[in-house]
Amino acid sequence: MARKQKKKTSKKKGVLRRLAENRWFHLGLLAVFLVGAVFVAWLDYRVRDQFEGRRFALPARVYARPLELFPGARVSADTFIKELQQVGYREGLRGQQPGRFERRGDDFRLVTRPLTFWDGPQSSLSLQVSFGDHGVRELSGAAGPLNLVRLDPEYIGGIYPAHNEDRVLVRLDGVPKALVNALLAVEDRKFYLHRGIDPMGMTRALVSTLSGRGVQGGSTITQQLVKNFFLTPERTLRRKFTEVVMALLLEAHYEKNDILETYINEVYLGQDRNRAIHGFGLGAQFYFGEQLRNLSLAESALLVGMVKGPSWYDPHRQPERALKRRNLTLTLMRQQGFISDEQYLQASAAPLGVIDKPAMGTTRYPAFLDLVRRQLSRDYRDSDLQSEGLQIFTTLDPRVQAVAEHALTSRLNRLDSSPDQGLQGAVIVTDTQNGEVQALVGDRDPRFPGFNRALDSNRPVGSVLKPAIYLTALSDPSRYTLATLLDDEPLLWQEPGRPDWSPNNYDHKSHGQVPLWRALARSYNIAAARLGFDLGVPNVLDTARKLGVERDLPPYASTLLGAVALSPLEVAQLYQTLSSGGFRVPLRAIREVLTPEGKPLQRYPLAVEQVVDPASAYLVTAALQTVVEEGTARGLRSQLPEGLSVAGKTGTTDDMRDSWFAGYSGDRVAVVWNGFDDNRPTSLTGASGAMRVWGDLMSGLDAEPLSLPLPDTMELVWTEPVSGLRADSECPGAVELPFVRGSAPTEHAPCARSRGNWFKRLFR
Amino acid sequence: MIKPVRRAAFFGLILASLVSGCAMQPPAPATPQNPAVAELLATASAETRAGRLPQAIAVLERALRIEPRNPLLWQELARVYLQRDDYRQAEQMAARSNSWVGSNRSLLAENWRIIGVAREERGDPAGARAAFERAAQLEHL
Repeated sequence: MARKQKKKTSKKKGVLRRLAENRWFHLGLLAVFLVGAVFVAWLDYRVRDQFEGRRFALPARVYARPLELFPGARVSADTFIKELQQVGYREGLRGQQPGRFERRGDDFRLVTRPLTFWDGPQSSLSLQVSFGDHGVRELSGAAGPLNLVRLDPEYIGGIYPAHNEDRVLVRLDGVPKALVNALLAVEDRKFYLHRGIDPMGMTRALVSTLSGRGVQGGSTITQQLVKNFFLTPERTLRRKFTEVVMALLLEAHYEKNDILETYINEVYLGQDRNRAIHGFGLGAQFYFGEQLRNLSLAESALLVGMVKGPSWYDPHRQPERALKRRNLTLTLMRQQGFISDEQYLQASAAPLGVIDKPAMGTTRYPAFLDLVRRQLSRDYRDSDLQSEGLQIFTTLDPRVQAVAEHALTSRLNRLDSSPDQGLQGAVIVTDTQNGEVQALVGDRDPRFPGFNRALDSNRPVGSVLKPAIYLTALSDPSRYTLATLLDDEPLLWQEPGRPDWSPNNYDHKSHGQVPLWRALARSYNIAAARLGFDLGVPNVLDTARKLGVERDLPPYASTLLGAVALSPLEVAQLYQTLSSGGFRVPLRAIREVLTPEGKPLQRYPLAVEQVVDPASAYLVTAALQTVVEEGTARGLRSQLPEGLSVAGKTGTTDDMRDSWFAGYSGDRVAVVWNGFDDNRPTSLTGASGAMRVWGDLMSGLDAEPLSLPLPDTMELVWTEPVSGLRADSECPGAVELPFVRGSAPTEHAPCARSRGNWFKRLFR
Repeated sequence: MIKPVRRAAFFGLILASLVSGCAMQPPAPATPQNPAVAELLATASAETRAGRLPQAIAVLERALRIEPRNPLLWQELARVYLQRDDYRQAEQMAARSNSWVGSNRSLLAENWRIIGVAREERGDPAGARAAFERAAQLEHL
């Protein structure tokens, strides 16, 4: 045995000697050295390149519209407090610290955050706002009454690269001393002394790991940064070696404070659904609704404590564990002399203080953000949106959005009662005057970031397209007025190469001669189809195009009655033009884009184009009002508040596969679609489905009644519906209708004729 | 026989009140009564004088969000677009202003003058002449 061993050793020595004399061995050694040098040089290149170049990709940050406060603004105290909570204001004033408020009944005191908009900055303001029955009663700042102030807009989401990493960059001088001290105390007490690694710490960790007392970190802040910044999370010896080399290189090239600042911005602090919270800047906002510089000692200690395991110490889900960890951090700080006993006692007795904000993920408004992204993609590259930290100010009104979501979800839950059939829907709400999209819902579950029906569900529109026919007619007042009698007798349409077409009324009856306004109000299909043929299908399609339908519509007879498929967004554009008196206003979701520093980059201005004569648009609106007053949507009256006059149109497609309602009040256009994704029949008409959602929506919005000034080229004249002749207010059933001057019927109905004669006789 | 007639009369009345309701709508005030809008209008004028036309447009759009039916704001927007040499938008904004003016002749006349200038600049002398005539007519009524 011993001999054998001896023999082996001598043999080994022999091998070594021979190796030392072998020039291949020298070459090999040289090669290893060279490879090592190349490896280090490569690491060095990576360290410098990534550290000096763009250190972080900053996703574009997307904001809702800011709430405008001014005396008379139609905002209630309850709406206001919701808005404050949404934008992360905290209760209780702390001197001039921004982002805090106090409420006493209908009176609020608050300190706003400094903001920069496209048209300039608004500094932090100490405000007093009082609310009355009709909205904001008084508004004043430190120096007296104010006319107008913007509140911070709600952050509604980001445009992220694939891994959904989100952060808010901070500079070291904006980090509270307490937070830095806590970091040093917990993560790396020799940070300012070592050169990237702490051999003692590493040895301790190694011993502990090998002896089975558990895996210990032993990593310096520099090593942790290297690990997060450059390396994958696997735990191998080779990776550890790379980490050590890179940490040494980083320290060789950069100042301690640069490394610390980058660490503070890089560190992972938790998960908000699919969004990863990175950096203490975003951490402060996410957990405390606060800017990092304003964090207290206890709050700083909590965030630092969480670094070790953000989900393990999640203060929302594991408050006790998080509290223990925070207090351990405070204990370490006291032991190392960073804080006094008194500070320790005070801070460790404080509550966690995290805000109770609903999980948002990358966004709470996936459908709207989808629209924003698409409109942006016309002007920006994806990579820029994901990395340049652009600030996107949008038109979303969170209050309108909330009402729209609730209207759709609660109504569908009722319509689609047990068992749940998967009835779906979409809602879009826009401003009648400037075309801003205020709300967009693309799914019954508004948080679900899936198929966006408001934009992508192209469905037959049915009667919702009829206003295009009537507008075409009414644009020629010498031939058509609201009182013109239309023929609703059965019709057979034959076209070479197309199947015969014979439209039917919903009640399967024909109604003889009907006044034009009533044919629209009651949605008579035969009258509409006949009118469409008289006008010529291509002319009707041309009107649809003018109103804003951009896609090519097939020039077939069935298109007249809405066999053509459009998205809710396209229908909204069409009704937008009607609602704004014949001025087409492109629908917009974005107001402006700023750089991360607040420099104006691009505006998406309001643009208008008169595409329809205001008189014709007025006539169609008047006819669409009769739809609600006595037509297919009369059921809406009981749903809407007293005095809220609106215009709108129901749409129902074959076998009730689609239920539509499109219409407008004075201030808002809204379009609702209900149906199944697989095109099954729903058993809903436009009036029993979508119209109900629309009614809930408008009732919940405090909408302004529709009342357009009569253009000076028009007059009001009484007519008799049955004959279409001129009447007066005494005639039974007479209606007063608007006419383009000179187009009203001149022949009097018998009832008016007799009185007219009597009247004339009186003055003769 | 009587019943349907009375029903029709009922709807007739609704329709009448509805449509006449539109007609009785008072025209929007020519000068902003809302101090917020007045302040924005002043800011916009200052921005325009300083040649910061995009800012002026942004401020006017903000004012329009508060008072969308104020013809004065639309007219001011038309004027800024005229200064920016965007004659198409200038004419459109003035036309939009017209639809809210009501019976205020001097505002109407001013809108037609803006339309006239815009058309002239766009190389439509006949259209411009018609617009100027309209403006003159309104002033001498």
